[in-house]
Amino acid sequence: MNSKIIGAVEIGTSKTVVLIGEIVNEKTLNIVGMGVSSSRGVKKGEIIDFNAASDCTHAAIMAAEESASVRVDGVYLAQSGRHLETFYNDAEVTVKSSDNIVNQSDIRRLLTEAKSKQLSEDRAIIHHIRTGFVLDGEPVDDPEHMEGHKLGVGYWNIHGSVKKMSDSIHIINGFGLQVEDLIVSSLSSGKMVTTEEERKSGVLVIDIGSGSTDYVLFNNEYVTHTGVIAVGGDHITNDLSIGLRTNAKLAEMLKVKNGKATLEPKSKNDKVMLIGDLTIGDRSISRSGVCQIINARVDELFKLIRGDKNVAHYFSKRQITSVVLTGGSSQLKDIDRLGEKIFGLPVTLGENPSWVASDLAGPEFSTALGLLYFGFSYKDDNLVRREGKRSKLIKGVKQLLGF
Amino acid sequence: MESQELFENAVRIKIVGVGGAGNNAVDRIRMDMEQLDGLTLSCVNTDLKTLSDSIVGETHLIGRNITRGLGTGGDPELGRKAAESDRETITRLVDGFELIFIVASLGGGTGAGLSPVIAEVAKQQGGLVIAFVNMPFTFEGERRFKMADSALKELREVADAVIPLPNDMLLQEEAAQDSVLNAFSKADEWITRGVKSIWAILLKSGLINVNFSTLREVFNIPGGKTLFGFGVGQGPNFIQDALDDLVLCPLLHVPDFSKVADNLLVNIVGGTDLQMSQVQEIMTFVTDKFGSRENTVLGAVIDEGKTNTVEICVLGTTNAGTMRNFTKARVAPAHRLPEPRNQVPVRAVSLREKTTAGEARKMDLVPNIQQELGFDGVDENRGFFEETGRNEHDGLDLDVPTYLRRGIRVVLN
Repeated sequence: MNSKIIGAVEIGTSKTVVLIGEIVNEKTLNIVGMGVSSSRGVKKGEIIDFNAASDCTHAAIMAAEESASVRVDGVYLAQSGRHLETFYNDAEVTVKSSDNIVNQSDIRRLLTEAKSKQLSEDRAIIHHIRTGFVLDGEPVDDPEHMEGHKLGVGYWNIHGSVKKMSDSIHIINGFGLQVEDLIVSSLSSGKMVTTEEERKSGVLVIDIGSGSTDYVLFNNEYVTHTGVIAVGGDHITNDLSIGLRTNAKLAEMLKVKNGKATLEPKSKNDKVMLIGDLTIGDRSISRSGVCQIINARVDELFKLIRGDKNVAHYFSKRQITSVVLTGGSSQLKDIDRLGEKIFGLPVTLGENPSWVASDLAGPEFSTALGLLYFGFSYKDDNLVRREGKRSKLIKGVKQLLGF
Repeated sequence: MESQELFENAVRIKIVGVGGAGNNAVDRIRMDMEQLDGLTLSCVNTDLKTLSDSIVGETHLIGRNITRGLGTGGDPELGRKAAESDRETITRLVDGFELIFIVASLGGGTGAGLSPVIAEVAKQQGGLVIAFVNMPFTFEGERRFKMADSALKELREVADAVIPLPNDMLLQEEAAQDSVLNAFSKADEWITRGVKSIWAILLKSGLINVNFSTLREVFNIPGGKTLFGFGVGQGPNFIQDALDDLVLCPLLHVPDFSKVADNLLVNIVGGTDLQMSQVQEIMTFVTDKFGSRENTVLGAVIDEGKTNTVEICVLGTTNAGTMRNFTKARVAPAHRLPEPRNQVPVRAVSLREKTTAGEARKMDLVPNIQQELGFDGVDENRGFFEETGRNEHDGLDLDVPTYLRRGIRVVLN
């Protein structure tokens, strides 16, 4: 029996999640281990204290390996944070052969051309995501052997800061493990919480974490855009602590216990207690005040996403038919109702696929599950080809296709 | 004869309202304060029309050659040019005053352009400069906000203390039914409170007065951030109410921020029934909350017209961020609390010592290190995210609470 052990690591702002999967005979994926630790040294999705973040990550990997009683061969590492940026790049070539039939060399020429965009020294590409071929203006899945004059292709390119990415890679290396690939968090969780039908008809997945919000747009089964806004649950807590003039711990408790994303009608009697045990420092707070602060923050967040010009473009063309929310902060009460108001579309809370065991069903595991899934499908997918020197960071970066 | 002499030796204080908003604020102070002894009010502007509407006796038109008395049209560059061209007028304006309050809105061209120049000239003349400046609402637009931001930085480099009053914050103090316009007058109210409190402590008879050299000491180490808070209590539990009110003061909202006050001035204005034990109670609470007792200066004043009322004003500077090369060499002298002086007419205490001015001039030679800090007004609203980079998005700092940026008034209780 041929088996490979892969690890999925997400160094999040509030916690670090590690899952271990066993790929058996390149056909089945078993999730065999899990480790979770609360993160330190990470804010807004980015590592700000290398040593602290490193310790937490190592603890989580160790716990996962222990629970699985195996050693991990390679790690798939999630990437988030404001340093991630995207751009779209397309290219077109004239079909060379005299009979106008597209052949392999045309396609190769085209792909090289489309991906040749130079980045500055401190930036590196994480993903080139192909958004489909166009032959004489008609979208086609596989143009080889088809007849036409002009062959075009588009790519979404996601790139990040070399410094930030190598920090997270070094953390994994520091544990004596190799990073197989970097995967943007939003792609990873987005794939997990949506169905094929949703991705076909157009879906916006918003992953609201503690420190940042990642979003990804699927259209016609392709990823058509991804983005990060460095605002998450921590911001709600901070807003509350400033607005209600209390400390972060109490604000966090208040958010979880009494927080709501929609506005509450003002009424004199609707009070919540700050601590709730009538000790010194406890005081009553208007529930509508709490909701005002949260509502303003989440409302802004959703509007920023909707206003992202690449997202707005698909909204105006009515190519998005639903919105899925995931991530820890999506558990905020009524957040889906607020989303429906702003996006004007049905908003659902994401669920991990049914094959996932019940203890991994929570939204906080979507990203790590997605990482395992990708680690698994790379082996499975014959279309995946190794690309040449694309990133100096990792040698074997693979290409995401058919995604 | 004796009282005449006393008066002549008293600290001379001038409040300079700069620009339209500053003029309004000074007008308001004029209306609010019945007694104005030792206090000179003055309005400066580049706009003749606004200036002539002022009810204050002393007005100065600055930069007649530059703006022809028509204002700056919101351009701080023009404001600065006007000030530079009229340095003589400004020198005459501040000459002979030991304490100069500058009151302005940095969202206006005149306020942003003139204020730093006035502060600089006043410092050169040996005065202590405390500036109360309004920061515009975020929703007034990015351009205006940036302008105010850079003016604040400039001002911090030259003034002894700069107290920024962000309109976003002040709005929170409004009653829900009030309009945004009222928020502007709210700002004036805060300025009046601050100025009045310092004035009272220096010049009014009270339980515990503070003399000018002590006040100078508080602002002596050019600290980074300033801390300014105000609390009022009335009724049977006025002490506790005032302390509660102080804790909820929107300008003191970030807990970590208020803890780092290294030099603190606490002013208490109470009625005739204010007792020393109550002053003690307030002091214990305030020093616990905002700083150590050694570096706290206390002043307490009796206002005859009041009973069952107390106002607490906390004004502090912080050395945070400047510790590394400065405070070791020059540790803030511990201030001994003056013994309470019941019933004694205390104006004598506020006599200006002859050495003060000389000392002050010497102090000016100490290199001003405020610019090293490199923070600005917005950073003070970031709380948890203070140590991370600014979260810029289309000119907004997303780490600053949305409700503040949007001007939403939060119902507290």
